[in-house]
Amino acid sequence: MVSGGCRPQAQDGGGGGGRPGEAARSDPSQFLHLQPQARAQRGREKKILFYHPNEVEKNEKIRNVGLCEAIVQFTRTFSPTKPAKSLHTQKNRQFFHEPEENFWMVMVVRNPIIEKHKDGKPVYEYQEEELLDKVYSSVLQQCYSMYKLFNGTFLRAMEDGGVKVLKERLEKFFHRYLQTLHLQSCDLLDVFCGISFFPLDKMTYLKIQSFINRMEESLNIVKYTAFLYNDQLIWSGLEQDDMRILYKYLTTSLFPRHMEPELAGRDSPIRAEMPGNLQHYGRFLTGPLNLNDPDTKCRFPKIFVNTDDTYEELHLIVYKAMSAAVCFMIDASIPPTLEFCRKLDSIVGPQLTVLASDICEQYNINKRISGAEKEPQFKFIYFNHMNLAEKSTIHMRKTPSVSLASVHPDLMKILGDINSDFSRVDEDEEIIVKAMSDYWVVGKKSDQRELYVILNQKNVNLIEVNEEVKKLCATQFNNIFFLD
Amino acid sequence: MAADVHKKKSWEVPNGSLAPGDGQHTERSESPTPGLAQGTEPGMEHSSPRREARGGKSSSSCGLGPPQPCGRGRWAHSSPAGPAPTGCCGMGRGGRSPLHPSPSMGDTRTDAAWPVVPGAGQEGAMFVHTRSYEDLTSPEDGAAAARSPEERRGEPAEQSSMEQISKDFSELSTQLTGMALDLEEEMRPGKEGKLEPSPQTARRDSVLSGKEEEDVTMDAWRLHRKHVFVLSEAGKPVYSRYGSEEALSSTMGVMMALVSFLEAEKNAIRSIHADGYKVVFVRRSPLVLVAVARTRQSEQEIAHELLYIYYQILSLLTWTQLNHIFQQKQNYDLRRLLAGSERITDNLLDLMAHDPSFLMGAVRCLPLAASVRDAVSSSLQQAKAKSLVFSILLSGNQLVSLVRKKDQFLHPIDLHLLFNLISSSSSFREGEAWTPICLPKFNSSGFFHAHISYLEQEMDLCLLLVSTDREDFFTVSDCKRRFQERLRRRGVQHALQEALRTPFYSVAQVGIPDLRHFIYKSKSSGLFTSPEIEAPYVQEEEKERLLGLYQYLHSRAHNSSRPLKNIYFTGPRENLLAWVTNAFELYVCYSPLGTKAGAINAVNKLMKWIRKEEDRLFILTPQTY
Repeated sequence: MVSGGCRPQAQDGGGGGGRPGEAARSDPSQFLHLQPQARAQRGREKKILFYHPNEVEKNEKIRNVGLCEAIVQFTRTFSPTKPAKSLHTQKNRQFFHEPEENFWMVMVVRNPIIEKHKDGKPVYEYQEEELLDKVYSSVLQQCYSMYKLFNGTFLRAMEDGGVKVLKERLEKFFHRYLQTLHLQSCDLLDVFCGISFFPLDKMTYLKIQSFINRMEESLNIVKYTAFLYNDQLIWSGLEQDDMRILYKYLTTSLFPRHMEPELAGRDSPIRAEMPGNLQHYGRFLTGPLNLNDPDTKCRFPKIFVNTDDTYEELHLIVYKAMSAAVCFMIDASIPPTLEFCRKLDSIVGPQLTVLASDICEQYNINKRISGAEKEPQFKFIYFNHMNLAEKSTIHMRKTPSVSLASVHPDLMKILGDINSDFSRVDEDEEIIVKAMSDYWVVGKKSDQRELYVILNQKNVNLIEVNEEVKKLCATQFNNIFFLD
Repeated sequence: MAADVHKKKSWEVPNGSLAPGDGQHTERSESPTPGLAQGTEPGMEHSSPRREARGGKSSSSCGLGPPQPCGRGRWAHSSPAGPAPTGCCGMGRGGRSPLHPSPSMGDTRTDAAWPVVPGAGQEGAMFVHTRSYEDLTSPEDGAAAARSPEERRGEPAEQSSMEQISKDFSELSTQLTGMALDLEEEMRPGKEGKLEPSPQTARRDSVLSGKEEEDVTMDAWRLHRKHVFVLSEAGKPVYSRYGSEEALSSTMGVMMALVSFLEAEKNAIRSIHADGYKVVFVRRSPLVLVAVARTRQSEQEIAHELLYIYYQILSLLTWTQLNHIFQQKQNYDLRRLLAGSERITDNLLDLMAHDPSFLMGAVRCLPLAASVRDAVSSSLQQAKAKSLVFSILLSGNQLVSLVRKKDQFLHPIDLHLLFNLISSSSSFREGEAWTPICLPKFNSSGFFHAHISYLEQEMDLCLLLVSTDREDFFTVSDCKRRFQERLRRRGVQHALQEALRTPFYSVAQVGIPDLRHFIYKSKSSGLFTSPEIEAPYVQEEEKERLLGLYQYLHSRAHNSSRPLKNIYFTGPRENLLAWVTNAFELYVCYSPLGTKAGAINAVNKLMKWIRKEEDRLFILTPQTY
């Protein structure tokens, strides 16, 4: 048995990811997979493929897994095809997900505790309505998607080498991945898991398009390409669902890790190692660190896409020049050599550098045209289910992997409530609510699009709120019809 | 004192005073419709029905509650001859159901001191930046190779001990999954025979419940909008809305196993959520109440309805007696005691599905000219007797008048239970009934005695006289006679009859074109008003859909951690508005064509109209004896 590390830090807020090995006084969050298939003869603990935290006593693990199974079985009494998705208890919430047949993932998140004083003694009270189901079940689903992106399906691992291989892969992946989850700061954006697109004029877009065509032509082993600027997507050859999770990886893990040299500009240590290469700013974010070192290893992360049908295994090459990043994906059967990397660097590097500054210039012009940004009277989140486009003026993605919302958490939770109400029916709806803090929150759902607005003014009435939102729709989404 | 009653744990309710309930009545506010049915939000308060007895003031007022022999009297749907306070029913001993052993949660922990498996940590694998989880290595040189030999050696030992635990655990989990599996098996057609209850018990059951058995294996059973189950802590069925309790006893056994499993970990199960339905658990020792709902209601609202069911059971047994029974015998089959009352519970559930009273936690009044209501109230007030605590006149599920003893307040929940009792049986029409009843929010440890009769055969006007004295039937019956006499003398009978002809008003009277329906609740009085539900909400499912929308707004407005002041909802078929203040709650339904500006104007107009009509729609001057 092996363990990783993940705890929701509802209480102590500070610090990074959870520390493995640190026993929490109250329930730690647990993260486990189980496989109810081979029940009777094999014994229950064999079914546990991964359990975090591993320090938990064996029979407690078994009890907890047994409870999940019992809950799922019990609900089949009432709906054989749609078993339980979550369990609410006084102390925690448990989320169930069956990503592949007979493989279950369970995540337990502790309810926040507040300390109250009664007769001079501290009394701990669980706040049972603080966690949002949709947020955490989405987080759980993304855990699987991310695992699958880098490891392929559970079933494939079983075919490759049985339970042992699967357990190893799970351990290796989740041990590290769980530490990157920041459960306490998850919110509506985690439900959408959308893609932020970079707004662009036609001319520049065509330039990028032709750049990609030229690159795919010259580097003929490239199977798929994706192009991002400023952490926002411009073009992708991948299927939507694969791109969605790859985008999440790039923007929450890979890019933030390489941010510092970026900010340091050309004096960064990486650039210093490549003195001969002054004609462009291109560099590899994955793969070789120093192209001049003949012993450098050209190792790229492997990703798995189209797992439902063609099941493709690819090498992921991420190359960046200034704010522009290109992902080249090549078939895993062709190992990328140092020669190839050098060729890529020499072709892509200069052109991408030029392109990046073109985009930057164009972007600044557009910004000037749209006028100086005043402090807007509202903040919003927009999501389109059809193309996964997402836009938020609430979040500032400044720190790696954590997206910080700039509004009060209660307001964010109201957005989450509205979102879960929207998803219950398939109809267009709009809802305007006034919170106890006197802030107004607006949710609109139209066709496949959702828009959430928080107004900064307090002393306004419903009609004024409506006017503000109309204005917002007119300026930001003028070509989208919203139910009025 | 009421609090003492519980400590005695006796069958008898001592001959003491029934102090009034919550003590909430101390905080009365100056509303136009003051304290008639007092209370704030209906009881989401926790657990113990034990109450603070109010200080000496009230104790002098009445000597309530004569000794109550075992069991409660049967309903005396009596002949006009009158009183029939019959003795106990069905409280015999023995006859324990052989079907289900109580699921006891055995201690599964074999030993606390497990050998620490060496090398089970993961330090060896921590060679990659913790923030990166993509696999940069090929399988050969991956972390698998990095595992230390000790680690591998550790595995066999670990496995053997695991084997042991799994054995231990399997005993426990039989109760969990095992039962669920059994149940699945049972559900499969052709295999029913295996777990079929013995013919005897089955027959007994069908006689007792008197409702047709529903096949719990069918989709139709699964797809009911709301299932409700009540079970004892021994996992024994007490009530099931659909399907016989016998056929569902294993399902209920699983429910109890889930409840006790989490309680063994000092936790408590609240609810299970799945696509399209939720399962909500409410624990009120010694009972467990479970609902499986496919409605849009929130978890809290469903739990609230389950509490009503709990109070309904208390109203038949009292909390004291219920506890005593299970202290005596843990696996007592409570159905024998509740025999015949399923109908009342069924009716309560049906009522909650379409009457907003329960959602609002308030009572609706029959619209009546103030002069007529005053005449009725003072007639009621004058027809008093020493043992009378409440005199209630009602029509349908609307209140006509309520007179109470000074300092005694009736909680809306208690009043709803009384309304439900009356509406669930037509036999009250046939004469005078004299029945013991517990008003759980008022005092959950003792019985009152209710005199129930209809004023005239054809008229939907029911008089309810609540007395503290079991022996007082004739006195109370005389009160009724006196009341009717005064009513006649005052000559309001005609006006009353006239009012009963139109028990609901039309929303058209308000004169706002886009207004379809509304609910206005005055918080301080616990009363609400609402017009008749009209087109387009004609079909039963449309009516329920409208109530569902109100439930939705209500649950959002009253969310325990994120309450809201205003909600404006725009849907494809209607627009709704909710407005919650300290003094009132307003829910309005508009046609989908209206604008928001129109909606605001309509609210202002509506509030003016309600103010103008308030003496007709509410009881502004409640009477006391």
